[in-house]
Amino acid sequence: MTEQKTQHEHIVQPEMQLDARAVKLNIFSKFLHTLGIYGIAGLFVIFGIVLQVFGVINGFLSVQNMLNIVDAVALLGIVAVGMAFVTYSGHYADLSAPTTMALTGIVCVQMLRYGFLPAILISLAVGISVGLLNAVAIGKFKANPIIWTLAVSYVTLGVIRLVWVNKQIYPDVMASSQRASDLFDAIYRLRFFGKIALPVIILIILIIIYTLLMTRTQFGAQLKITGAARKAAKFSGINVERIIGAAFLVSAVSAAIGGLVVTSLSRVGAWYNGAGYDFRAVTAIVIGGMTLAGGRGSIIGVVGGVLIIGLMNNIMTLLGIGTFSQDMIRGAIFIIVVGVSAKSLRSLGRDDA
Amino acid sequence: MKKLVKLLFVGLMLLTAAGLVFAGGEAEEAASGAVEGNLEASLAIDVSVLTAADGQPLIKLGGQTRPVPERPADPSALPETDPLHWWDMEFAGWNSVKTNIPESPKDGAIGKRIVMIVHGDHPWTTACSNGAQKVADAYDIDLKIMSPNWDLAVQNQMIDQAINERPDMILLIPLDAKTAPQQARKINRAGVPLILFNTLPSAEAMDYAIAWTGPDDFGQFRILSRLWADALGKEGGVAYVQHAPGGSPYFARCFGPISELSEYAPEITVLDKQAPGFEADKTMQLVSDWLTRFGDELKGICAADDSAQALGIFEALSKAGREDVIVVAAGNSKVGMDLVKDGKLYAITYQTAEGDGALAVKTAADWFNGLEIEPVRYLPQHMITVEDVEDFYPPQW
Amino acid sequence: MRKLQIKDKQQLISTIDKNRIFILFGVIFLFMALFAPRFMNVFNLTTIMRTMSLNATVAIGFTLILVIGQLDLSIGTIITFAAVVGLGLKESVGFGLSVPLAVAAGGVVGLINGILVAKAKINSFIVTLGMMTVLQGTIYTITGGNSISLSTPDAFAISDWLAEMFFPLLTPRVLITIILVILASFGMRRTRIGRNFYMVGGNSQTAWLAGIDTDRYTIAAFVISGLTAAVGGILFAMESAAATLNMGNSSLMYVISATIIGGTSMAGGKGGVFKTFVAVLTLEVLYNGIILFGLGNEVKIFLAGVILAAVILYEAYTSYRREKVLGQRPELMKELERDREAAAASSS
Repeated sequence: MTEQKTQHEHIVQPEMQLDARAVKLNIFSKFLHTLGIYGIAGLFVIFGIVLQVFGVINGFLSVQNMLNIVDAVALLGIVAVGMAFVTYSGHYADLSAPTTMALTGIVCVQMLRYGFLPAILISLAVGISVGLLNAVAIGKFKANPIIWTLAVSYVTLGVIRLVWVNKQIYPDVMASSQRASDLFDAIYRLRFFGKIALPVIILIILIIIYTLLMTRTQFGAQLKITGAARKAAKFSGINVERIIGAAFLVSAVSAAIGGLVVTSLSRVGAWYNGAGYDFRAVTAIVIGGMTLAGGRGSIIGVVGGVLIIGLMNNIMTLLGIGTFSQDMIRGAIFIIVVGVSAKSLRSLGRDDA
Repeated sequence: MKKLVKLLFVGLMLLTAAGLVFAGGEAEEAASGAVEGNLEASLAIDVSVLTAADGQPLIKLGGQTRPVPERPADPSALPETDPLHWWDMEFAGWNSVKTNIPESPKDGAIGKRIVMIVHGDHPWTTACSNGAQKVADAYDIDLKIMSPNWDLAVQNQMIDQAINERPDMILLIPLDAKTAPQQARKINRAGVPLILFNTLPSAEAMDYAIAWTGPDDFGQFRILSRLWADALGKEGGVAYVQHAPGGSPYFARCFGPISELSEYAPEITVLDKQAPGFEADKTMQLVSDWLTRFGDELKGICAADDSAQALGIFEALSKAGREDVIVVAAGNSKVGMDLVKDGKLYAITYQTAEGDGALAVKTAADWFNGLEIEPVRYLPQHMITVEDVEDFYPPQW
Repeated sequence: MRKLQIKDKQQLISTIDKNRIFILFGVIFLFMALFAPRFMNVFNLTTIMRTMSLNATVAIGFTLILVIGQLDLSIGTIITFAAVVGLGLKESVGFGLSVPLAVAAGGVVGLINGILVAKAKINSFIVTLGMMTVLQGTIYTITGGNSISLSTPDAFAISDWLAEMFFPLLTPRVLITIILVILASFGMRRTRIGRNFYMVGGNSQTAWLAGIDTDRYTIAAFVISGLTAAVGGILFAMESAAATLNMGNSSLMYVISATIIGGTSMAGGKGGVFKTFVAVLTLEVLYNGIILFGLGNEVKIFLAGVILAAVILYEAYTSYRREKVLGQRPELMKELERDREAAAASSS
């Protein structure tokens, strides 16, 4: 997947060109460029409010509804903010995330017999070790991220199914005590102030940590250069191998946590847990303004992308649009949003992707 | 060096050719002829004493058939809310014209070879295979189970492979109702006896099979919907969380109740129906949005799955503090039965996975034994509620 | 003399490297032929050919997509889409018109993909991922969630004809696949247009400077990918006499794996249709053997993953090595060493 480099030679001095080119932007692109993804999120909210004012839908603008939206996408958010590091490093996506989730979940359920905390720790370690595989192969040996993580997901899936002979296991059966089982059940169901669910808290904590990691640390700065221009990063003395490896580890950490959450939600440890979260996370990441070329975007943007997916689903269901049409609309909005943002970046001479 | 590679390749080709030439005699001999007294011994075997993992009898025959109404001239012309609109799907097989069905050998089931092709891997399938194996063991039948992992191309390949093995019988869960006719026809033309089970195939497929056995999805949901309507007081708005599109459950578990209730409880209105897939979080968002959209209008939810979908439903309900919504679902997984026991799910259908596989093998055995086989054999119909849920523990899967 | 030997060795390695998919195929085939029960007979081998037909056809276009350095995630849904269109329209217009329409539908989807990638310059990963969702929704909408079956005598007749073995290993459908593979393979290697695809993928800037309209080639590759996916899909549906709503879903990951195992690189500019074809055959032989051994899908998934991982690692490792020794000249080093040895020998 080489990028189209034909535009590249036209960029002489971005600063000088910026104003002249910015004029050419149409309103929507300019809007998108200034406000980023939250502009679109805002549009959706306004759209929802307008619909409510005209009585087409009701209940959109309520605290409970907003909380529902956040609740529904918290799990996706947990996985996406981690995988964003992979995209940021210029490596597209981590397709092994779903099986990492499944593996973490099923190992945790299996280990509940040794108590809650050991189970969590062991399973997280197992999940993160999948990330280690990715880190070595992609970071050090430059294996193609998409197919390598695909291969890893096959192997992991095969291992899960071989070890647990195509069965699913239940936390309340496996746990040594009622307490361990209840604690595991609470990962998804614990609510603070009776409203805010634990996954949302986890997501917020991850957002804070990851944002700091990406913007305030040496690792973040090096990751940005590595993502934007790997060779330049290498020649400037950055240990790109370790940086890229670390990005995949972050993704695995997120996927492992997501695996615990999804397993707690579905109350079974099974190989099919987490299926589909790879492409869903990429969708959120890319809608959130992180370009696949790497080095551009932010965690906050990704969260915006996640929220947009939640908002979109919410409004469509409130409107009573059927499942089938929802798919079509979702796909089209995805292409349009990403296309427009790519175009605006390009017109500004900011990106050649 | 290129020579070496070429040589290797040519060698391989030769080997293939040689293999092809000598392959003629490879097709396996059909099972050996009848042993004296095999039929009597087979008939003497009583499988009704077998039990499934949940303590229920593995096989319960007879009873549970229901009257088959007259087929209307053109069912598809009737509205979807009319029960007879679904006649072709609901009663597929009852009006089949059996074609080229092999004659029963009438030499007893003991020692027969059966290939069973399922639809894909799932804990349900594992339980189903266990049930089939129990009956096979009782009859000393050599049972080989193949699973195509939900891939049509692979299932077609497995059918070819099964035919190639020349077993005494093929048991098949078609991946899709609509692919079944050609699959059944192929097996039929190869002269191998065939019993379809579990997934309701298109009516045409039934012409080529000895019988179809499995759950009466429509019938179960008609009973379930009446129970549900009674609990709802025969009024209020309801919504349906549907099965994945493409199969008969997608219709049976939504239009079954809708068409039944259009007569039994016409006051009940359908607010919405959606197919969010089998993921708890997606279902949760759907139901949360429903609660926002319909508010107190929403009195009942009918789900096509009692585990992930049901969990999503109850997460959404508990967040909204709505304990009054009456939820029913197709079951009976462990998660679903736990929910029934907790008093959350009002009722689920009894879907014995082990019994599903067992009934197919039992029907095959009956056929070997020369017994009369009705074209359609249903699994027992039963609704599990909080009253009798204890009887179904431990769960089959 | 010594220099020559080193070259010989390098040549051997590179020959093995270039032909590794054939070797892999040979090893797996030999293993199955020797050990798998009921593997070596005409019926089973024909079954393998018939099963590979779908993915081999689809993989032609996909290889082209990888060669130009793009990705097409929508092939799975194009298979289903073509199947649904072709069988759905059969009632009203007959196969004579519905099959070309189905193939054209695949081409149109490819055209849209191609234009969005080449002209709107959106990353192909995004375009085709979005297209996958859009198409899935379209399929559900036009069918109303109900699969399509054709249980009429003429549909059965065509289905039987497509599946009938008229020569060992060959059925009409397999023959169509093989002809397409040969045509594509020949076109890619021997024609100027075909070679231009490699240039576009190898280095689009150079290709552009050399006067190749890269956009046009990109669009063409997506159209071909759409067409081959549609051909594979409609033939599969016609042989099954039915179109289900997810019949193409498993093909995406399968075709990606096979193309990579066949030695086509994701970076573009490298690979070939015939090697992909052999890779599809290899996987099919492996899967067939696994079923014959009575093993489950978990083994199949695991082995497929291990083979894929091994191929990727091998490729990555060789390029890693190459980068390490870039600019080094082993024969000079050897000479130096020999001189040193000679000096050491003479001094002692």
